[in-house]
Amino acid sequence: MRIELKAVSKIFSDGNRALDNITYREDFNALAIIGPSGGGKSTLLRILGGLIEPTSGEVALNGKKICYDEKHLIQYRRKIGFVFQSKGLFNHLTARQNIILPLVNVHGYTKAGAGTTADNLLERFGLFRDRHKYPHELSGGQQQRVAIARAVAVKPKLLLLDEPTSALDPELTSEVLDMLNELRNEGLNFILVTHEMGFAKKACDKLMFIVNGRLAEYGDSEKLFTSPETEELAGFLSKVLEWNV
Amino acid sequence: MPIYSLFIKNNDNKTAFLPKAFNIVIAVALFMLFFLFSIKRLGMEFDFSFLWSFRYRLAQGFAATVELSLASLVVSLFLGFLSALANNSRILVISYFSKVYVQFFRGTPLIMQVYLFFYIIGTAWGVDNRFWAGVLILSIFEGAYISEIIRGGLDSIEHTQLEAARAVGLKSGQTMRLIVLPQIIKRTLPSLAGQFASIIKDSSLLSLISVIELTQTIREISASNFAIFESYIFLGLLYLTLTFPISMYTRYLESRYSYEN
Ligand SMILES: Nc1ncnc2c1ncn2[C@@H]1O[C@H](COP(=O)(O)OP(=O)(O)O)[C@@H](O)[C@H]1O
Ligand SMILES: [Mg+2]
Repeated sequence: MRIELKAVSKIFSDGNRALDNITYREDFNALAIIGPSGGGKSTLLRILGGLIEPTSGEVALNGKKICYDEKHLIQYRRKIGFVFQSKGLFNHLTARQNIILPLVNVHGYTKAGAGTTADNLLERFGLFRDRHKYPHELSGGQQQRVAIARAVAVKPKLLLLDEPTSALDPELTSEVLDMLNELRNEGLNFILVTHEMGFAKKACDKLMFIVNGRLAEYGDSEKLFTSPETEELAGFLSKVLEWNV
Repeated sequence: MPIYSLFIKNNDNKTAFLPKAFNIVIAVALFMLFFLFSIKRLGMEFDFSFLWSFRYRLAQGFAATVELSLASLVVSLFLGFLSALANNSRILVISYFSKVYVQFFRGTPLIMQVYLFFYIIGTAWGVDNRFWAGVLILSIFEGAYISEIIRGGLDSIEHTQLEAARAVGLKSGQTMRLIVLPQIIKRTLPSLAGQFASIIKDSSLLSLISVIELTQTIREISASNFAIFESYIFLGLLYLTLTFPISMYTRYLESRYSYEN
């Protein structure tokens, strides 16, 4: 998949400049966005997902420019999967109903067809036994896997994930990352904001490093981890990897 | 099982059925004994048998109270929902209108509203059907409380739920219908059920404008045969048969909801 950002900036209504003139062009299968918190990663991802509008600049996927008015955005969001850090599942619906709702109400599936799709996905990701549980009855890892299943059920052309594992215990983190890795091997493209440096290095082919709203460094993931060019990235990596085994 | 465990709450705050039933019976008996003792001190003899001859009127009054309450429940839910939405409106005058409404009707006694609205507003606007005038007055009053309950429900919906709804591609109308409403209903149902019990009790004040409901029926009966105490004791029992099941249902809903959090 090809992503193009042309001078993208975002200034919030309180005057906060979250993204400052980001220009970026890349072909990727799995793109990781890393950087210190408050740097603008979530803001960028939400612009890519059509959830908020950039103050200025242009975004294009596979050569198609995203048109930021509500009518087009609704169509656009339907082709994109979005997974939040936590609490993205609908509280009043079971795991299975969470997957069915968008299929029926947004993508025009019949109830039966949506049910079959949901059951297949739940089965495949080891969630079938828990399909009738509500989000508060599921572990954090299960919640995130259901959220990913819901996002991929509609066969999106791109999956966006905003720190999907940062609210999870380590052993639950790997069950979510394993699922993501499996999906990537099947050819699903995704953009992921993460603090899991191992995953960003091994499972993602491209990397963006964002600091204070600027794109401070980018390139092949493997290469950036082994030989970062900027002081900023080198310093960031040495900090986040300090206590790694 | 030591004998005191029949009377004392367990550490885990759960009470088994037997001690529960046993202690409820004792508590109710104590309550009644106090009441009977007071009556004894007055040296009165009670005779409820005359009520039997009024059974049809009583049944009619009872039915009227149920109808009045149900109608008021529907109308007040509608008003309360509207007012809660208005309160959150970005158009200031609508938002303040809702706030003034809630403050006025929660801050003044129902008895004043009943008189004022029936004789001034009712007359001015030609509402002369007492039943529907009653429903309207009661609904406006209860709607102010329901407005606050629903507003709390709206506030309790997390922002992420709305953002997730947008992300999966729902339109705003669908988000309202499929996500927001079901969550509000689930969260506010215990309070709304409790409010229904209040509606039933508050409807008794409509006897002041001679709506022929349960309380008014009892007033008429007791005025004709002077058995005031028997009449009002019986009245209380009739209201309890309506409010008690609702209160139990409210408890059940509350416990279910607290478990979810
Ligand atoms: N809705 C908003 N309104 C105002 N400021 C915001 C909003 N969302 C994020 N910000 C600000 O934008 C900056 C970037 O935030 P964010 O994109 O969440 O960073 P990151 O995801 O990298 O931690 C922060 O300073 C944050 O406070
Ligand atoms: Mg973030």
